[in-house]
Formats: sequence, structure tokens, C-alpha cells
Amino acid sequence: MTRSKNANPVSVRTNSENSLLSARNASTSEQLSDEALATQVAQGDSVALETLYDRHAATVLGVLANVIGDRAAAEDVLQETFWRVWKSASTFESGRGSFTGWLFRIARNLAVDAHRRTNVRPQVLTDADGAERIADQMPDPDTDIPEQAQADLRNRQIRNALASLPRLQRVVIELAYFYGMTRQEIAQATGEALGTIHTRARLGLQKLREELDREEFEG
Amino acid sequence: MERREIEELLPFYALDALTDEDRELVEAYLRAHPEARQNLDEMAKAVSALPYGTVPIEPSVRTKEALMARVAVDQKPRTSKPEQAPRPREMSWVNIFQAFGLGAATVAIVWAVVLNIQLSQMKSQVALLNEALVAQSNALNEINAKLAQTPAVETITISLKGTDVQPQAQGQLIADPNKNSAVLVIDGLDQLEPGKTYQVWLIDGGGPKSAGLLRVDANGQAVLIVTSELTIGEFNALGISVEPEGGSQQPTGDIVVLSDL
Repeated sequence: MTRSKNANPVSVRTNSENSLLSARNASTSEQLSDEALATQVAQGDSVALETLYDRHAATVLGVLANVIGDRAAAEDVLQETFWRVWKSASTFESGRGSFTGWLFRIARNLAVDAHRRTNVRPQVLTDADGAERIADQMPDPDTDIPEQAQADLRNRQIRNALASLPRLQRVVIELAYFYGMTRQEIAQATGEALGTIHTRARLGLQKLREELDREEFEG
Repeated sequence: MERREIEELLPFYALDALTDEDRELVEAYLRAHPEARQNLDEMAKAVSALPYGTVPIEPSVRTKEALMARVAVDQKPRTSKPEQAPRPREMSWVNIFQAFGLGAATVAIVWAVVLNIQLSQMKSQVALLNEALVAQSNALNEINAKLAQTPAVETITISLKGTDVQPQAQGQLIADPNKNSAVLVIDGLDQLEPGKTYQVWLIDGGGPKSAGLLRVDANGQAVLIVTSELTIGEFNALGISVEPEGGSQQPTGDIVVLSDL
């Protein structure tokens, strides 16, 4: 194919030029904060969305699988979570909280709906389904190993802090955060008085904060 | 609602687990008492760590590809070029000043009238909202006072024990026998190899019925809302077995927890 002399330079950009531009955009995106990326997503920047996905998808999937129980269903909800980020990034206000707080709220709400829909009817895998699922679940080979090690360390610190909570304080916090149960619903589900639920939530969060300080976690 | 009572809601506000009415009360309180923000920020910091306490799972490549394909399809209409607006006719400077002067005066008069109308409408709306807020707050006070005094429903706690397969496992089922769901809390379960999951079974005369899949954290702990089509009181026992990921219709693997209800 020959190039026309008067052709628009954009329209005749080669594949390698496009790849270079895309790589440069991705490299710039990687240096931005979550909140700055969310602003770019609101303007229709799919590279910014991809960067946010690469940063947070594994943690979001861990939370989703925890609530839903089923990995395949959790992956569907993961996709839906980031689709909602794409469609409604313009409603995110950085002045009202962090991007991750907003992201996990979307994920949690979708997970609670999925849990209610699917948990009484587990899917049964045939051998063929199983083989396909295992192929689907192969992780992304582009994972950044040092970054992964740092994230693993932080997660271990948080798990230690959570494990140190008295069991009933932890139950109240988990029911509220992961299952979105209100204080009244938790009181009803656990058979405790509302005042006891209040105390457990307050003491639990206080202790968690102290433990995280001890582990030198920066929220 | 008293200050102390609203402050008890702050942990649930940080956990994003309040009803809309409670959330509105807390937000009104925070506007009136900005010093309470510091306490809330501390709690929010602890809450922000919670997602990282679960074991992260690397998603499959296919999930990202499917997402980005959806985005690419959606992006086309977003990035299509808007049609160019027609160019305005050229005007002389004199015409421009005359038109501007007349336009500005008209706009100023209309603006003043509109602002006046809006102001009086807003005043009456604020008065109505204030009345509604006071009424809601009183109603909530009554409900909360009743709830705090009522020893919650007929909830029972049943101890659960591991079988010989995992004798260290132990837990509790907290349930109202007349309800279709219960809270299951388990400690000491082993980590499973990839492709396996724990499945919870409620057992009655007709055999075991699935009550959900259980994913334990790195410390072998799990909290699950067990759900069933029958009420919990209709079952005789609870079991947990090891199953292929996705679950089974009947238990097929090792039974790791089994207790009478």
C-alpha cells in the first residue's frame, strides 16, 4: 500500500507508531494517582481505566470471591465493577473520599447482590467446564514482581492486624463491610442488643487502627 | 437523637453500612460538628485497610480482555467528532455594542426576577425540610430506644466442631430458627489447593442441601451468611465439605465439619 502525499498524518500512522504512542500513554498513566486517573477515565481515557484495573483488580477479586464464594461468578462481578467505574467515573468526587473507597463500595454492592442471587444455587462444573475455567484463570504474565512483593507484605500486615481482633468484633466489622449489613440487621442476625453491636464496631475499628499503626500501615 | 447516640453511628458510617435515614443524620451532625471529622477519619483509615485483608486473586486474562472490548465499543460514540457549528454572520462594531448593551440590560432584569423567585422558593423548601428532619429524627429516636431495649429475637448460638479430617476446625452458627439465614463463623480450616472450595450443607430428613460456598482467609477464618429456602429450625445438622470449585449438588469430598443443630 502506498501513502498519498496529502494524506492526514494521523490516518497513516503505522502500527508501530500506534504501539509507541499507546506505550507512552500507559507509562504516563502509571505515574498518576488513582484520583487523577479517575478524572481521566471520566474524560473517556481507556488507558487510565486499564491502569486502575491493573492496580486494583486482584484485590477487588479477592474481596468479591470472599463474599460470593464462587470464583467464576466473582470474575463476572469484577468486570461489571470496572465497567461501572468506566460509565460513572464522572460521579466520583475526590474531595469526598479516596478512589479505592469508591471502587470497593461499587464492588461490595455488586457482590452482595450476586451473593443473594447465587449462593443458594452453586454451579456444578462438568469436566469440560473445569478445564476451560482453569485455562481462563491463568494469571496475567505481565505482573510486576517487586510491586507484587510489596503488596504481599502490606496485605500480610493487614491480615495480622485483622487476626488480632477479638472474634466477635471482627464478625461485626466483616458483616457490615463485606455484606453491607446495617447495625440493625447485624443485631438481628447475631442476636445481640443494638448497643453491643455499636460497642463491638467501635472497639473493633479502634483496635484495628492501633494494630495497623503498630504494623506501620499507611492507609 | 443525642450527640452520644449519633457518635455511635460513626463506625457504621465509616463502614458504609447505615440506612439512608441514619446516614443523613450523621451527615447533618458532621456539618454541625466538624471536630467529629477527625474521629471519623481515623475510623475510615482502618476501614480502608479491610479489602487488603482478604487474599488477593490475580484475575484471568480473559476478564480484562472482555472489559476492554466493552470499553472500546462504548468509546466509539464518545470519541466521534461533534458536528461543526455554522459560522455566525459578520457584524460591524457599532451593531455589536448596541446589541450587547440591550442584551445585557435585559439579562440583568430577568436575572434579578429569577433570583428573587428562586430565593423565596428555597426558603420555603428549607423550612419544610427542617420540619421533616425533626419529625424523622423523633421517629428514629423512638425506634432506636425500642431496639436497644428489646433483647433481639430468639437467636441461638450453636457450636460447630471439626471432624477427624480437620479436628482443629471450630466455629459457631448464630441463627434465629424461624429465619432463612444465619451467620456462620469458622476458625482453623486448612487452606485448600487451587480448584477446591469449602461448601456448607444444611441437612434435614431429605438429605444435605447446599447453603453456600465458603472461602477462608489466610488465617483459616471465615464469616458467611448461610442462606436456605427453608427456615434454619427445619434442619437437623450442618456440615462443611471440600468440593471442586463452583460447588457440587451433593457432598463429594472430605467432610471437615459436622455438628447437630
